[in-house]
Amino acid sequence: MSQVTQPSLSRETHRPKTNWKTYLKRYWTLYLLLALPIAFFVVFRYIPMAYILMAFKKNNIIQPPWFVPWAKNNGFEWFIKAFKDKLFLRSLENTIKLNLLDLVCGFPAPILMALVLNELAFKRFKRFTQTVLYLPHFLSWIIISSLALRLLADNDGLINILYKQMSGNNDAVIPFLSNPDWWVGTYIGLGIWKEAGWGTIIYLAALTSISPELYEAAAVDGAGRFRRIWHVTLPGLRPTIVVLLIMRLGYILGSEFDRPLALSNKLVTDVSTVISIYVYQKGINGGGQFSLTTAVGLFQSVVGVLFLFGANFLAKRFGERGIM
Amino acid sequence: MKRILALVLALAMLATLGITSAFAADDGFVDGKFTETRHITVRLFQRGDNVPETSPFADYIRNGMLEKYNVEVEFAVGGRWTEPEDLGNLLAAQSAPDICYTYSYSTILNYADMGGIIDLAPYIEEYKGLLPNLFSLLGEENVYWDKDPETGKLWALETRLVNNARINTFIRKDWLDKLGMALPTTKAEFEACLIAFRDNAELLLGEDANKMVPYSTSQDIGWRNNILTVSFVPDDITDEELYIRGFDDRQQFLPGAKEAMRLLNKWYNEGLVWKDFALYGSGDTTEDDNLKAGFVGAFQHNYDYPYRNGDDSISANLKRNVGEDAEFVAVDCFENDAGVYRKYLGSTVDRKVCFPSTNDEILASLLYLDFISSPDTILALQTGTEGINHERAENGAYIMKAVDSADPNYQASLNNIDFTMTCNGQYLGEYTEVSFAYGYSPVDPAVVQNAYVVAMNGGRVPAHFILPAIEAEVGIGTTLSDERDSFLNKAVTAPVEEFDAVYDAGVENYMAIGGQAIMDERAEKIQAATGYVFEK
Repeated sequence: MSQVTQPSLSRETHRPKTNWKTYLKRYWTLYLLLALPIAFFVVFRYIPMAYILMAFKKNNIIQPPWFVPWAKNNGFEWFIKAFKDKLFLRSLENTIKLNLLDLVCGFPAPILMALVLNELAFKRFKRFTQTVLYLPHFLSWIIISSLALRLLADNDGLINILYKQMSGNNDAVIPFLSNPDWWVGTYIGLGIWKEAGWGTIIYLAALTSISPELYEAAAVDGAGRFRRIWHVTLPGLRPTIVVLLIMRLGYILGSEFDRPLALSNKLVTDVSTVISIYVYQKGINGGGQFSLTTAVGLFQSVVGVLFLFGANFLAKRFGERGIM
Repeated sequence: MKRILALVLALAMLATLGITSAFAADDGFVDGKFTETRHITVRLFQRGDNVPETSPFADYIRNGMLEKYNVEVEFAVGGRWTEPEDLGNLLAAQSAPDICYTYSYSTILNYADMGGIIDLAPYIEEYKGLLPNLFSLLGEENVYWDKDPETGKLWALETRLVNNARINTFIRKDWLDKLGMALPTTKAEFEACLIAFRDNAELLLGEDANKMVPYSTSQDIGWRNNILTVSFVPDDITDEELYIRGFDDRQQFLPGAKEAMRLLNKWYNEGLVWKDFALYGSGDTTEDDNLKAGFVGAFQHNYDYPYRNGDDSISANLKRNVGEDAEFVAVDCFENDAGVYRKYLGSTVDRKVCFPSTNDEILASLLYLDFISSPDTILALQTGTEGINHERAENGAYIMKAVDSADPNYQASLNNIDFTMTCNGQYLGEYTEVSFAYGYSPVDPAVVQNAYVVAMNGGRVPAHFILPAIEAEVGIGTTLSDERDSFLNKAVTAPVEEFDAVYDAGVENYMAIGGQAIMDERAEKIQAATGYVFEK
């Protein structure tokens, strides 16, 4: 009995005695609690997965996919069609581009911010700053996009009006939203503005778990502020950073929907159309091409999973715990 | 594991198999009325935040149908501005109302291919005798408009467009008066007006001079510059070519369209066009607000656009904000190569009515269409209650009154077309003509009448060819129109020297993603039907 209630780390010695039935008997109340979330996942996540079949069938949403004939080319018609479709290739390219930029610029931002916050001496000021930084997270992209229009539009935007008046040249405008390159900058910048503050929470939590003794010891050894950050704080944050980075890489082909949809306009569709927008337009927004869009979604998920595993594998190779 | 998977799959299959549509016989229909109360659901567009299903108009229909045919009508309300998308989703979910209407035939075709739409041909034949009003309003032409000559299938009925005026050019007459200029009658004169607006911003707008917009447009460039576009199309273009190049209802792929866009591009670069037009999506009110505030000199839009919505119309707001003499008037100044003020008008068709395959009350649904098409019903729905919605003039004309939008008697759509499913446009029998200009209270009837006359002047109705369905058009409509808007916006806002490159690349891309396939198939099918050989 005592062996079970105080399980040791060695698994082999106990395996013959404790199978799943024993656990079920002993902890059935806990399993019962688990039943509801599991039912949720089965009903809303796993059963719908059967409809992945649509990606390999003729386009028909009215009949269940198992009664619909297979698509051409051994069922791969839609995958082939997608990869021949200029719009899809463009969306794929844009998705990767925007996500990589988001990763490069947006991922370090909360880390830097957390480090800075951590160094603030006045507790009250720190709290206040934190709260201010969190706030944009609670605004939806729809609200932010209309704020962006009022602030950044070429002619009627507040910033350009000020800029024109200061430069004295009525034609001098910064095309934040109308020039594709500037738009990408605006898109990434607004993303950082909105989410970086919120992203600091998890790092600040990780920071509290770093033992103060380490800082004291470093200080005794003559390490200044930056040395302490470099040799104590950052290594302490490393596991958190790695886990978040892995999860982030899983989304490399995933794309947000409301953000590009709300911020985009007709002038920048060459850089703003990402896969989610493509799927929306071709699928539910009038296109009615459900097989094609399921195929694209499936492709997106498979690549996402590959990236997730790949990143996890690499993390483990570099001596981190990874997530799996 | 395998067993569990099999079980899960089997269960999922059973769940989706649950509902199958049953064919209802009409043996309960005796002496023109059902013996037992039948129930149908009918799609109804909603605009803004009024509640159309609780209005007196909805009551009129519900009571009328119950009394006349013993059919209970339930309205399924959905937004007007996303209607094709919504209809697609309703059909996909198999929860579409029994009677649907939409402007998008390609959506209907898409779901017809999947077995989601009822073929109306046999029912129309069987029940023709019970549908006199429907046939007299639509005419054989509209009823069989979409009938496939090869398969004989009829997926939708084309409803009646009574008034096919389409687009007008509007200009601020009070500004021209102030500048001592006459109403423009040619493109060159129109351009001179825009330049004068730009150069006299201080005089016209005072301290708001920097808000001056000589010519306004929106991201829907094709529609909003249609008169301009069409004025560059050769007058002798054949009906066949119009059809082959005419999948795009903005006429942006006709010969000459590029030159029209080049002119617009030139205006844009000269500061004559609203700088920010491309940044605002469809449905955004910024442009309307500019029009209402009086910052805009000219624009092209629906032929009665500034006069719509009574007290909240652009015209009424303009008078409140600027002064009594401020007014947008319709002008004809875009002549084509033959010197004609050409406009392509809508044909006789408007929205398309279809029954989803989940409809098991086909006779009751057809009777609804007949009821809604009867002149009495249309008159009642369009004119509402005397004293509230309208007054009568001495000559019998219906003078519509402005009704507050919070009032249940408010008509959210012009002529209540959201309710009069089969009829778009004022249809008051002998009083139609005399009543037309009074439909826009508080706008001056003379101004409205002028807009109508201008919009019809030089009108050409593109011919309709009865051809098999064009496969290349299925499900691609919204993709192509998005692509068109996108490249036109880029081309118009490009620097003058880059216009050609941007425009040509856009057309090439549009053709590559489906535009060319449609043109080729249309050319092929029209050649098979009429012998017309299309030369590019």
